[in-house]
Amino acid sequence: MKKALLKGFLDMLPLCLAVIPWGILCGSLAIQNGFSAYETQAMSLLVFAGSAQLVAIELIAGNTPLLTILFTTFIISSRHFLYGLAVRHKVIDQPLRWRLPVSFVLTDELFAFSHHRKAYRTKTRLIYALSAGFSFYIAWNLWTLIGIVAGSLLPDLTNLGLDFAIAATFIALVIPGIKNLATLLTVLTAGVVATVLKSLHFELWLVAAALSAMSVGYGVSRLQSKQEHSQ
Amino acid sequence: MMTTILLMACITFFTRYLFLHRALPFKVGPKMQQFLSFSAPAVLTAIWVPIVFVNDEGINLDWQNPYLSAAIAAVLVAYKTHNIYYTTVVGMGLFLILN
Repeated sequence: MKKALLKGFLDMLPLCLAVIPWGILCGSLAIQNGFSAYETQAMSLLVFAGSAQLVAIELIAGNTPLLTILFTTFIISSRHFLYGLAVRHKVIDQPLRWRLPVSFVLTDELFAFSHHRKAYRTKTRLIYALSAGFSFYIAWNLWTLIGIVAGSLLPDLTNLGLDFAIAATFIALVIPGIKNLATLLTVLTAGVVATVLKSLHFELWLVAAALSAMSVGYGVSRLQSKQEHSQ
Repeated sequence: MMTTILLMACITFFTRYLFLHRALPFKVGPKMQQFLSFSAPAVLTAIWVPIVFVNDEGINLDWQNPYLSAAIAAVLVAYKTHNIYYTTVVGMGLFLILN
């Protein structure tokens, strides 16, 4: 149990560190846009979704209508539906007192650690996942707090390119997992489609890119297993 | 403002919890499961690749783009070492030098 707690923390640590620029940016950007310290921290404590928070801060500051803000939040968050679907069969037999906290911390980062066949299925693995998930939660809120305190002292961080830290971490999570043609083609499709759609300002770029890439991966793996059967 | 934040919190939590809700009457079959097994590489890549290539003006394929050189270095290190620390340190280090 102690071991699972520690392993969850340690496995998530590099991701907690890589998100420092984003967390600080989230805090300082909100302060610079007229949020109070409480509101800024509450956002990280309750919403706990980096990309949705950053976009919402800009929208709220621009006096965007509430419905537009909520719709945008929904679009950005809709990738979580995929995560829920993908881990459903592993988590669904657990009682609500485990499923609730797991779903609360089911971020991109935690999902990246959810692939083991037995993930979420034993008590040790649940503790591992919650330790990883909540250490990321605590880190995110800590970095937000630093951003709030530093707030107006900091220059405009938006154009410093610190988002590259996210790219570097996700590269580290994705590349070692490419072990067959189907996954390679999934990754290539996701990259190309997301880049094109995002540059065209298509609102659903993330979900559309993910779904088309998953279809390619699935199609290729089906074709391959058919060929194996016919040989 | 607090109302907006609370409503946003409801939305993100709803998207995370919905399919972990037991009363939803469906089972994810083996084919769907296989389809979903590609969701992590698909979503994570769809997030990081545009960070590298897309800026305010559109798609940037310039070799002088520090995002691109640092990303290539990070991909090579990730491929060789499978180590998340080495990958982020080399990627970020090179990026900060070039930028």
